[in-house]
Amino acid sequence: MDGRRGPRRDRKGGAMRSGVSGKRAVLGREEKKRVEEQFARHINRGQVKYLKAGHLDVLESMRRGVRFTDLATGRTMIDCFTSAGCFNAGRSNPLVLAALEDALGSVDMGSWMLMSPWKAALARELVEVAPKGLERVFFASGGGDAVDCSIKLARGATGRHTVISTVKAYHGHTGFALSANGKEHYRRHFEPLMPGFEFVPFNDLDAIAPHINDSTAAVILEPIQGEAGIFPASDEYLAEIRRLCDRHGAMLIFDEVQTGFCRTGRFFACEHSGVVPDIMALAKSIGGGVFPNGAVLYRPLKSIERFLEKHHDFHVSYNGGTDIGCRVSLAVLRFMRETRLWEQAERSGNRLRAALEELKSENPTIIREVRGRGLMIGIEYIHEFMGPMMSDALARNGVFAAYSGNAPQVMRFMPPLVASDDDIDAIIAAARAAVGMMKALLPLALPAARIPFVLRMLNSERVQTVLFNWLRSLEDLAGVLTEKRRKAK
Amino acid sequence: MKRSGKSGKKILEDYRRYFPSSFVEEMRATGRDIVESERDGAFIYDENGKRYIDCITSGSIYNLGRRPRAVISALKKAVRQTDQGNFPMISIEKAALAARVAAFSPAGLECVVFSVTRGESVDFACKLARGSTKRPEIVTVDGSWFGQTGFALSLSERSDRGMYGPLIPDVVTIPFGDYASAAKAVTGRTAAVVIEPLQTENGCRAAYPEYLRELRRICDRVGAVLVFDETQSGLGRSGKKFYLEYSGVVPDVLVIGEALGAGMFPIAATVFTKKLNRFMNAHPLIHLSTFGGSDLGCMAAIAAIELYEKLRPWDNSETMGKRLRDGLEKIVRGRRGAGTVRGSGLLQAIDMGTIEKARAFCRAAAKRGLLVMPGAVEASSVIFRPSLLITSIQVNAILEAAEKAAGGL
Repeated sequence: MDGRRGPRRDRKGGAMRSGVSGKRAVLGREEKKRVEEQFARHINRGQVKYLKAGHLDVLESMRRGVRFTDLATGRTMIDCFTSAGCFNAGRSNPLVLAALEDALGSVDMGSWMLMSPWKAALARELVEVAPKGLERVFFASGGGDAVDCSIKLARGATGRHTVISTVKAYHGHTGFALSANGKEHYRRHFEPLMPGFEFVPFNDLDAIAPHINDSTAAVILEPIQGEAGIFPASDEYLAEIRRLCDRHGAMLIFDEVQTGFCRTGRFFACEHSGVVPDIMALAKSIGGGVFPNGAVLYRPLKSIERFLEKHHDFHVSYNGGTDIGCRVSLAVLRFMRETRLWEQAERSGNRLRAALEELKSENPTIIREVRGRGLMIGIEYIHEFMGPMMSDALARNGVFAAYSGNAPQVMRFMPPLVASDDDIDAIIAAARAAVGMMKALLPLALPAARIPFVLRMLNSERVQTVLFNWLRSLEDLAGVLTEKRRKAK
Repeated sequence: MKRSGKSGKKILEDYRRYFPSSFVEEMRATGRDIVESERDGAFIYDENGKRYIDCITSGSIYNLGRRPRAVISALKKAVRQTDQGNFPMISIEKAALAARVAAFSPAGLECVVFSVTRGESVDFACKLARGSTKRPEIVTVDGSWFGQTGFALSLSERSDRGMYGPLIPDVVTIPFGDYASAAKAVTGRTAAVVIEPLQTENGCRAAYPEYLRELRRICDRVGAVLVFDETQSGLGRSGKKFYLEYSGVVPDVLVIGEALGAGMFPIAATVFTKKLNRFMNAHPLIHLSTFGGSDLGCMAAIAAIELYEKLRPWDNSETMGKRLRDGLEKIVRGRRGAGTVRGSGLLQAIDMGTIEKARAFCRAAAKRGLLVMPGAVEASSVIFRPSLLITSIQVNAILEAAEKAAGGL
């Protein structure tokens, strides 16, 4: 499949009917280079190289529903990364855009220290959709900020220090959240981080049980580990941790930043198990894919109330819970409730998962495992180096999916939840075609990968960046030559 | 404007139900139990149409006044063209804003990492310094206030800091303005010296230019990174584009606050040198922000920067700041227990002597249509930070309300 073919001959995509300007603008090679150079100079050159190596250097335009168009190639792709779960309600959801435009017509961000009817309304709606018991609300400016707020609340209310997190956990990049990240990759350059954080293997009751005691401030968990590579916790695991936290007076914090807002087939992932945390951190899709927002819901436990009596301003947010943000989030919630979006996520998730399982059983030398719940699905490959190759193969087949830097052997499929059956089938077809392309390439790579040294090289991020960039420049050269030949004709 | 259709009483009920009840009490005690309804330029209106001059500006976010038209129309246009985007991706919007921010910033600061909120920007600044220097220690000064997140909290002077267990280790706090302590504390172990050149929440205590120059010299000597947080003093508020211009010192890292989004979109930035970006280039995607530098936010901020460049509000801030300061000095002068007026440009604080008096002043001012707040660090101070586009008539109105509020105490 030729990725560089002209936009006009593209498959049915969202671009033509999206009607931004009536016709599609495609960036020339030079223009794209200029953008990349500007980005490299003022933001990050390493990032540009890294993304190019992984075939993730697309420029998003025409962002509508489940798709966007790469401005450089004219390819329309289904977004299966969705900013790690930000576009649950679909990209440029008309209801959400209308709410944003309406808000822009009359308000601004507002002031946290004054009263806002929209803040009050969003708090009420969040409590209505949340698991029973989570009755109170703080706002935050995003996921990391919400996690920082959650951990501060737990430490402040219990007067204890120890926070138990899990190996490979991902909670964000601000001070507390970073200290709770269970992957060295994000921590090692910035140490020493906060003392008092302990890490235990995820979804292993025997590992965590001895750690929870009377000096535990909190246990913090993602009900499904996202960045780690999509690992769902079992219901029994969560239920037993709930019991242990109750027995020892420790707070149970769920980080539902990625799993919340219908992603897993329930409004919140913890509903699968029926376990209600004491504190729940939310962000991502609450902003409707357009406006930053975040929230922390909590149970009005005596210890928390006592702490807040003196420290109600312990984590005020100027930039979360803004008037515009709340009006956008209210529209997101209304859309989800009216369309019962979690049901669609469950249905589509089952469809996608069944097909990927089938693909796995057909290709045991490529796919190791398929995991997930609802439309939060991960495919684990046999080798790490397959991640960038699969990204490229999927892109050529009209699906944008990113492997995680945290777990390059896992490809995440987290499309917008508004995906239709046809969209899901298009993802399945792309995955099939991508695996087919891999099969053609593997006879070259696999024999080499049997040599441990070569495998280590292939799996090394740095080697990949250099190697794949070199391959990319060959491709570019070929592209230039083809273009020249065409012009000559 | 579209009314919420709810009375203040009902909103107050909701607030009591969903937020800490002590928060509601605090609002009442400082005259802030006001429903923020319409907003326009230097003013806000409550649901009954009562007008207030906004001298809180949500912590110096509304430097261009409430609802600047140019930013709104740019944002409205952008809504139909883009969204927040996939955060790890290269984007035209991000690249364009980064170039604009670099050109807007002091020479030498040309690399940018975007964030949503101040704390996040400060946390990143600390991480950048540690990552680049491979050193652990962060030196800051007393009286600081950097935000709510982990590193920011660890560096801030606040009474509740001890409530959250052990924070970021290897943080050293030295007395503000003390040359000898700085020379002693900043060593080959020091990754960064982090300071607000003008400590807004600490009664607008400003660093002497020579102190900032000395910090620059010390950092250069030992190879430490100098970080300025100009979240509140930057973008024209102090009477210059950035307060650092009074000293001529350019730090290695500058935190630009949420005034970057002109109060229409939450966006902040950390700008830094090319040299420091070597570390980030070697470790791409090591520090991420889902909402930081969202494509829509970039479009809003580009429009805001264009407006800043067009209106040069720092000039008005300098002129009106002088007028405000002179007026406030007259009010404070001769009052028993009340101290001096401190600050720069349209960022001024009066010292009311006690915390109770400061709160009473805020309450009395609100009654007279003036919204002000006490400092978060120095709670006996009251801070004045209006729109930078304020007129002399509006400054007179602030002073009149302030005088009456002070007179009643």
